[in-house]
Amino acid sequence: MSFRSLIQEMRDEFGSISRHSLRSRSHRSGNAPREAAVGSSEEALQQSCWARLPPELLREVLVKIEASESWWPARRDVVACAGVCRTWRGIMKEIVRVPESSGKLTFPISLKQPGPRDGTLKCFIKRDRTTQTYYLYLGLTEALVDDGKFLLAARKCRKPTCTDYLISLDRDDISKGSSTYIGKLRSNFLGTKFTVYDAHPPYDGAVVSKSWSARAICSNQVSPRIPAGNYPVSHISYELNVLGSRGPRRMNCVMDSIPASAVEEGGKAPTQTEFPLSSLDSFPSIPFFRSKSAWIDSSTSQSSTEKEERLVLKNKSPRWHEQLQCWCLNFRGRVTVASVKNFQLVASDDNGPGNQEQDKVILQFGKIGKDLFTMDYRYPISTFQSFAICLSSFDTKIACE
Amino acid sequence: MASAGESGDGADGKGVTTITIISSDNEAFEVLEAAASMSLTIRHLIEDGCADGGIPLPNVTAGILAKVLEYCSKHVAAVAASSEAGSSSNAADAAAAPEKEEDLASFDKAFIDVEQDTLYDLLMAANYLEVKGLLDLACQKVADMIKGKTPDAIRQTFKIKNDFSPEQEEKIREENQWAFE
Repeated sequence: MSFRSLIQEMRDEFGSISRHSLRSRSHRSGNAPREAAVGSSEEALQQSCWARLPPELLREVLVKIEASESWWPARRDVVACAGVCRTWRGIMKEIVRVPESSGKLTFPISLKQPGPRDGTLKCFIKRDRTTQTYYLYLGLTEALVDDGKFLLAARKCRKPTCTDYLISLDRDDISKGSSTYIGKLRSNFLGTKFTVYDAHPPYDGAVVSKSWSARAICSNQVSPRIPAGNYPVSHISYELNVLGSRGPRRMNCVMDSIPASAVEEGGKAPTQTEFPLSSLDSFPSIPFFRSKSAWIDSSTSQSSTEKEERLVLKNKSPRWHEQLQCWCLNFRGRVTVASVKNFQLVASDDNGPGNQEQDKVILQFGKIGKDLFTMDYRYPISTFQSFAICLSSFDTKIACE
Repeated sequence: MASAGESGDGADGKGVTTITIISSDNEAFEVLEAAASMSLTIRHLIEDGCADGGIPLPNVTAGILAKVLEYCSKHVAAVAASSEAGSSSNAADAAAAPEKEEDLASFDKAFIDVEQDTLYDLLMAANYLEVKGLLDLACQKVADMIKGKTPDAIRQTFKIKNDFSPEQEEKIREENQWAFE
């Protein structure tokens, strides 16, 4: 049938086409809201027309929001849109790119994903000595410190044989039982060795088998929440350097969840995509406490990393400045107060030759004022891992005289 | 059927040719072909030679069609004026260009400042008729209505149902609490 005759046919039928056939709303009537249903049984009409906006148009709108609200505090609009309904969430989650490529933090899960490949994310930490709490903020401007966007909070809990720093998404509720608990740093008695534990599996493996949408359809009742797990993701150790306590200490960070190849050309670091919802069937027979090697066995899809070397980060050696009579590192203006806590971590060249990213500072931490510190980090470590490593610098007893 | 005016769809005379468009409720609108052609849908119908006796649009009511054609006419005139100014060696014309751009911007702003239901109709019509500039303008307006709102406020504004499970809702509440911290 040609287009021409189609038009002719449409014209012929014009008189009989009902005004309402293509649109389910009633004839225009001033300001009345459109959601008035014809009959009470027609539930579909009780939602407004907006609920039936074609997905491609909704996507256009959400793309505009994501593009214009690129930094905090406006970025909260992106999170708000993802909380409206399932459709909106699906589209927004698909639009938002991971920090690795976008350089932006968006959802809480962004804090568990590798940092940007280009440039660094500049944050600052405020310490509250009275409550032994530390607050991590994302910088909003080029200034060393500003209002900031709150990211994570950590509280020191001293125990008989060790110290724990509990890390949470909620500044007011920092406890292991809280749903906002995402991990912790544990130090040994001497404060020389630390382990970073993630409350959730470090990456999507066989462990977290259900996707967000599948789970959404299956579980409509509220399942009892399983207590958070303990997945070791990093081991940090501090040692005196060859000069003993008269030189800066040496840091060694083994990143259990990141292969050494991540910093080589074409390398990838594992990326979590969702916080797993705690429901009974999504954690099949996993013990809550795992040793370093055990958790690797359960993620069958990642079994290759068991053989792969782990990424090791070491602190860059400062150079002795004869005139100033002190050890110096180039913090590029981001650290302004000399302190034994200050450090720059780079990928260790023990990881093998051909390591092109070797000179890039992956994590930088340093003092800028009383109880005020900057933290700059980049790919392949996440905000959470960076924060935990910085906390160890506060705690370690290895110090210069 | 309303009397279709002389549609005069001659092959030449870009500025002079008019086209008749007929709304779903049988109202006829006569517009410049150039303006109507801002709608890709209508442009294709014209090119296929279907414009004789007017183009019927069973999906668009008179009120909305009038608005869409108003947008197209305004924008096509602006494009014509600016290309004249561009080719003119008159300094005054060139100086007036940014001002004319501002006029168009304020026209757009006032044009899209409509009630929510009208906005929805304009959005759907612009999509169906493939008027890119208007679609963009309408989408941006919807985006502006969303900015600064909590999920609950967004749902209320657009009367959208919350279809998350209680478990998901709790997680999302925490997510938003963190974002709005």
